[in-house]
Amino acid sequence: MNFEITIVYILEILVGGLLVGIGVHFVPVGGAPAAMAQAAGIGTGTVQLAAGSGLTGLLAAGLMMSVTDNLWLILASGAVGAGIMMGSTMLTGSWIYAYAVGAPFASAKVNFDPITGFSQPPYVAPGTVGQGIPTICFVSGIIGAVFGGLGGAMIYYPLYLINDNAALSAMFAIGIFLVNAVIASWNIQGTIEGFHDPKFKKWPFAFKACAIASILLALASVMITGGA
Amino acid sequence: MDAFSMGLVAAMGALATVAGASEDIESDIGSQSNPNSQVQLAAQVGNPHRIYNKAISGEPPANALWAATAAMVAYTLITAFQMPALLALVAGASVAALFNGVFSMSAYFGRNSSQRRFNQWVYLDIVRYTTPSIMAHAWITSFCIATVSYIMVYMLPVPHPFPMAIIALVWGLAVGAIGSSVGDIHYGGEREFQNRQFGCGLNTMLSGQIVRKAEAGLRNSIDNAWFCTKFGGPATGMGFGLTVFLDNWRTSVFDPVTQATYAILMGVFFIIVMIAYNFYIEKSVRAKYGPYPEYKGDIAA
Repeated sequence: MNFEITIVYILEILVGGLLVGIGVHFVPVGGAPAAMAQAAGIGTGTVQLAAGSGLTGLLAAGLMMSVTDNLWLILASGAVGAGIMMGSTMLTGSWIYAYAVGAPFASAKVNFDPITGFSQPPYVAPGTVGQGIPTICFVSGIIGAVFGGLGGAMIYYPLYLINDNAALSAMFAIGIFLVNAVIASWNIQGTIEGFHDPKFKKWPFAFKACAIASILLALASVMITGGA
Repeated sequence: MDAFSMGLVAAMGALATVAGASEDIESDIGSQSNPNSQVQLAAQVGNPHRIYNKAISGEPPANALWAATAAMVAYTLITAFQMPALLALVAGASVAALFNGVFSMSAYFGRNSSQRRFNQWVYLDIVRYTTPSIMAHAWITSFCIATVSYIMVYMLPVPHPFPMAIIALVWGLAVGAIGSSVGDIHYGGEREFQNRQFGCGLNTMLSGQIVRKAEAGLRNSIDNAWFCTKFGGPATGMGFGLTVFLDNWRTSVFDPVTQATYAILMGVFFIIVMIAYNFYIEKSVRAKYGPYPEYKGDIAA
């Protein structure tokens, strides 16, 4: 195989890994406290939600890649697939916050929702850091899922071109995806509300760590699956 | 597109809805959900309990394991032994349920015996009658997901290039992620965690103070399932069903070879509708419930 093309493939995997790492910072996860309506965001772990949406995007991208080799269509398909998964998750989660838990949506990280302009502090229950999924968190989550889906598709695309084996490429894409998601999750210490959260400013740390991890994984995966 | 593939997509959506609902109820009976952090703390703050506790892994990896096991066994039986697909899927789901049983019981014994110093007991009657309910729900989940994977690989007009087991792995991860994002919130609103005012989140000071007693006798995990079946389970099913249905609907209605752009634009449209719907919920809930009375000094919006 041509050496220059291999370098391009490695760079594509690197960009995919970075997109996943950054995308995780956008996903509004509150962990166990959010499941108890003690914190704003989705009540689960960062990696789990990012993986669930990003890999749904990978399924959509894989389907698209089996019928076309247009990179932009494959990337868009992955992004939209991930966005749909994240959207339906947050929407059904909102039903429960609104109609079962009975809590108004509010974030304790900002005084006003930057998108809708709603004031937040009066709606934050005492002793908690917000509850539910306000519009700002919802939009941030969709952006995160789109990044994750793009990243997953971006990792899958070069691997599939190298070895023409969907199963092998998908397994490697899932692995590289999870590594980057876990690194980003450490950076935000498990919970974040979205791009308006002060923790979001820490993304350069995750960027560097994900870059190193992705380069190593890209080298290994390209060589193992038959490149170079 | 033809009526047959539309029917298949509808069947996939229905199967996914059932899978989501049973996944959530399975995790609630086993208390594998996020609110389990309270159950975990309960014995340590002086509240030994009779809640089943199998949270030694997150829901997504656990469900990915069971779904992938079911799909792998089914795939092997179909390809190597030429078994009818339905029987093979049933056999696969049964193997997955056995895996689930081993996982649940070892988790329960490990969790509770490690809290012996806090007077937490291992209740054998709980193991005897709760584990089969957990396994039964895991059977439904893995059967539905393996069937969805089978339809995607072998029956849809544009077959998916991934093998069945990997599709089941990804859908298992997705159903676990949705179950732990959606269903857990309802489980967190169960009576077990209602040592607080209605409409508030749980005050951090009250962590671990779970409700252990019912009108008569001690509460256990079957009581949780009774509550979560009413809304948390169906809502989870709706979330997962929407994901599977909308994602496959757009590539079935619009041919991905010639109309790929339309398929993608349709997806973007769905996402925008969801954002608008969530905004509507947020607005109506704020108007209906109003600010908290404890808050001093409103800020003009």
